[in-house]
This record gives sequence, structure tokens and C-alpha cells, in this order.
Amino acid sequence: MSVRASRSRRRRGGVEAGQRRFILGVTIPTVLYAAGLNVLSIVWAFALMFFEYSPGRGGGPILGLGGNNPFVGLAHFRNMIEGVTLEARLFHTSLKNTLIFAFAVLPLNLILTLPLAALIESVRGQLRSAFRAIYFLPAVTASVGVALMWGHMYHPQEGLLNAAIRTLGGSPVFWLSDPRLSFLGVSVAMWSVVIAYLWQDYGYNMVIFVAALQGIPKEFGEAAMIDGAGAWQAFRHVTIPLLRPTLLFVCVMTMLSSFQVFDIIQVMTNGGPRDQTRVLVLDIYLNAFRYQRMGWAAAASFVLLLVVMLVTVVQMRLLRTEWEY
Amino acid sequence: MANIAPARQAPATRRALDWGVVRGRLGQVLLYAFLVAGCVATLLPFMWMVMGSFKSSSEIIRIPPTFFPESPTLENYRTVLNDPHVPLGRFYINSTIVAVSVVVLELFTASLAGFIFAKYEFFGKNAMFAFVLATMMIPFQVLMIPSYLILAKLKLIDSLWGLIVPVAVDAFGIFMMKQFIEGLPSELMDAGRIDGASEWGIYWRIIVPQLGAPMATLGILTFMYRWNNYLWPLVVITSPDRRTLPIMLTWYSGMQYQSYDLTMAASVLVVVPVLIVYATFQRWIVQGFALSGLK
Repeated sequence: MSVRASRSRRRRGGVEAGQRRFILGVTIPTVLYAAGLNVLSIVWAFALMFFEYSPGRGGGPILGLGGNNPFVGLAHFRNMIEGVTLEARLFHTSLKNTLIFAFAVLPLNLILTLPLAALIESVRGQLRSAFRAIYFLPAVTASVGVALMWGHMYHPQEGLLNAAIRTLGGSPVFWLSDPRLSFLGVSVAMWSVVIAYLWQDYGYNMVIFVAALQGIPKEFGEAAMIDGAGAWQAFRHVTIPLLRPTLLFVCVMTMLSSFQVFDIIQVMTNGGPRDQTRVLVLDIYLNAFRYQRMGWAAAASFVLLLVVMLVTVVQMRLLRTEWEY
Repeated sequence: MANIAPARQAPATRRALDWGVVRGRLGQVLLYAFLVAGCVATLLPFMWMVMGSFKSSSEIIRIPPTFFPESPTLENYRTVLNDPHVPLGRFYINSTIVAVSVVVLELFTASLAGFIFAKYEFFGKNAMFAFVLATMMIPFQVLMIPSYLILAKLKLIDSLWGLIVPVAVDAFGIFMMKQFIEGLPSELMDAGRIDGASEWGIYWRIIVPQLGAPMATLGILTFMYRWNNYLWPLVVITSPDRRTLPIMLTWYSGMQYQSYDLTMAASVLVVVPVLIVYATFQRWIVQGFALSGLK
């Protein structure tokens, strides 16, 4: 706050009292609301994972914990580590699938969006915004709609993909339902949902990259070209390093959202075939709201949070920069 | 980058120049070919959906499938719109109520809180803002279970309120508004004070009228996000007539005999309104994502 503003405020005491009332009047309800929902949620989520909790059972007086919802300490986590029970094995599968999904999505997304953004950036005028608008279409489409569209594309009989394969003389593939198919060690069903997800999601990163590329002064690339660098070398050695902050942001956000994937998988495969596309959030959803095992689901959510935090910190370390331009 | 070598570039002969033009042309052709191919890949699933929605139930299961419907029919739309089990009008109203309420509440709380954080100094401000940012970082899925239990305590399960109340205050919105309002000159507020405006009056008459651009962006993004939201309504809503559109969509695909003709028609009816909103506000939306992503 500037000196002048604070001096003029001191001159009129009534204004200051009015300001204080206003600040309190707005912040107290907002903070109470946010705290009421968020802090309570966090505390509750943290408490739940030490209990065998099901909302249908009558529990103790505080948050329904205790009583018929007994305290089990770290039993859920011990169970997860040992991985003997059915739910623990499903959790392992889900965690593994989530990691496969996220680590397949991130590089493919970058390979797709970064060159695409550079190409779009090199187009002039109206055409550039037209391309950008079309490429962004899937990103604004309801993910359930995306899942149904792609479910129809992948359909063994009616689908467009198998129609193309038949035309080329191949035999139809059960993209989403054949558990025996795999490619590069990852099931075909998983690749199929990865592709649908990439199609839905790439618009965001592309738009962010286009904006970032527009922010880089042209002179940098031109200087490198004058020094004898080719277009590719200029892109590789000048543009990409300058994009590092954006790259960090995009990597973190893409990872975060792919760890939270739920909609398209629940609609397209519901985790199948043979749990090959069962991901963490689906596992959490099924445990919490289908089987009413909320204590276990809260423990699984905590693991999701840990994984998300770990991945974010690691990426920040790897891609950190100390300079700006 | 100091060792500039102009000698290599300077003696540009006529032949070399022509080659440059040819290569440039070829590059342009390749560039556009690539971009157009990308557009086709992007639009193909939409086309397949729209084509499917106009096919008869016997044509859609034909092998090999047709791409363009042979005898386009509106029968699927008629069935979907008149299905007594699926009151589509009701779902449009539900989705609209939820999305519009959240937009109005969120714009109000975000601009007000953003204004306070941007333009006032008070005890604990930084700590509180840090708290707001921290809540932005925790994935919703992690807090889904306690949020559900809180709603259950408030008796808001299976109510549209349950889709509105938890998201009425949004950390990202507060953050975005604070960033924008910080850029507004404080002299505006001082001028208002000299004219005798209350703090509330300053917010309502001076700050809010300046917020057109960020409010449009945040409003449209929030609207689309809530309109398309699936997981939370899936958890909260149990009664068929309180469903929102995305939940309704899975009704057709979840039926025992999955009928893709009806599913595709229903999908078109759900997806198209958002695409119209998008086409209308395209600039705001794309810019909004780009800016909010970077800011």
C-alpha cells in the first residue's frame, strides 16, 4: 500500500473503522465457509483412514467414529503393504494402472502438443485462431460424451476403427474388452483409454504452449538462425529452454489430472477387462460409495495424495529454473 | 551467442535463394497438411457421433458400418426427447440450475474475497491467502469422502444444493480475481472514498464494473466445468429426476441392450449446447485457459 493512501486513511478515522468492518464482514464468513468445508474435510479424511468406517453403521458421538466403526490404527496401510486380501490386491492393481496411465499420457501429450503448438504459432492471422479453436473443441466436451463417442469408435462391430481394419483386410479387435491383448507390455484396453484421454485433453496444453510461444521474443530464435542454427536446432536449443517454466507447469498439471482420471474410464470400461484399466480414483469410488468401505477408501485417497505430492515435488526439482527473460 | 558469422550468410547467390523459396513453399504445404490432418483427427469422433445419431437402429449395427447414414432419420431424437423414463427437459433444467447458481455464487465470492486480498492489509492476510492456495492444491478426489459425509450431515444428499454448496467458494477463482484486481489502480478506491462511498459501495460500484473480462472468463470456465461434471453428481444424486445431463447420458449406455443410436443422439443433445457456448465465446475461453494456466 502506498504511503499516500495510508496517510489519507489516517486523516479520516471513520474510513478506517468502516474498512475494518468490511474486511471482517467479508473475510470471516468466507474463511468460516472455506475452513468449515476444507479443514473439516481434511481432518475428517485424515481420521477416517484409521477406522473401519461405513456410513450405514451407527458409530460413536464424534463424526460417527468409534462404536460400530472401530478404530483399527494402521491396519489399512499394513493391509495395503502386505497385499494379501482382495481389496489390497485390487488397490495394488489400481495404483499400478494409474502410474502406467499417467506415465503413458505425459510423454505422448508433450510429443503431440508441443510441435503442434509450434506449428500453429507459425501460422498467421485468422487461420491460427481457427486451428486453435478446432483443436480445443474436445477439451470443452463433457468427458462422459467423450467416453461414449470413443466407446462407439472402439465398438467391436459398429465401431469406426474396426470398420477401417476390416477394409484393410484385418480381423476386428475387441479394443476395450479383450484382456489378452497387449502392446509394449501394456494392455490394449489401457492404450485405448489413454488415446481417448489424450484426444480429450491435448487442447489445454496446446493452448498454453501457444500462449507461451507468443511470449518468447522472436529475436532469440532469429539470432540463433543467424549463428547458423537450423530451425530444429533453434527450437531445440533456444525455444525449449525458454519454455522451461511453462513446461514445468504443463507437466505438473498433466500429471495431476491424469492421476485423477475417472470419468472416461468409468464409462468406457468400468475398470475392465479383468481390472486392466482399474485406476485409483475408480477404486476409491467403488470402495467408498458402492461397498461403503469408507475407512479403506480414505486410506487409498491418502496414498493418492502422497503420490500426487511426490510426483509434483520431483518434477519441480527436475525442471526448476532460476532465471527469467 | 556472440560469435555471429555473417560471412556464411552474406553471399546469397540466385540459385540458393530459389532453393530457399522452394523449401519454404514445401514447408508451408507440409505445415498446412499436418494441421489439417490434425483437425480431421480431432473432428472425426464428433462426426462419428453425429452420423450415428441419424442412423436407424438397424443401420447402426450393420457390418460393415456405414459412415454417412443411408436414410437419415430423426427417430432417435424423437425417442430420446419423448422417453418417459428419461425426462430430458428436467435434466436440462437441473444442469442449468446447478451451473448457473455455481457461476453466480462463485463470481460473487471470488471477486469479493479477491478484492479484499488484493487491496487491504490486515492481520493474518498472508496466512489466509496461503491457506486458500493450499486448498487449491489438494485434489478433489481426496476430499470426496468427507465432503459427502458433511453433505449427509447437512441433509443435502440427493439434492441439487449438494452440487452447489461445496463449490460456492472456489480457491482458484479467488486467486485469479486477486491477481487481476491487484492491477487496478488504488486511486479509483481513494476517489470513491472522497466521494463518500462505503467499502461495500467501492466494491460494488467501482471494482465490479472493472471486472468484465476476468468475470467472463471465470464464469464461462466455471459454467462449462459444472455442466460437464460427472463424478460429484454421480456420488451425490440418487433420485432419477434430480440427475444432471452427464449422469443421464450413462443411462442409455448402461442399459442391458446398449443402443448406440439412442446414446449418440443423447450425446449430441448434451454436447452441442456446450459447443454452442464455446463457439460464441471461443476467444474468451481459449484466452482464459491460456492466461489462467500461466498466471
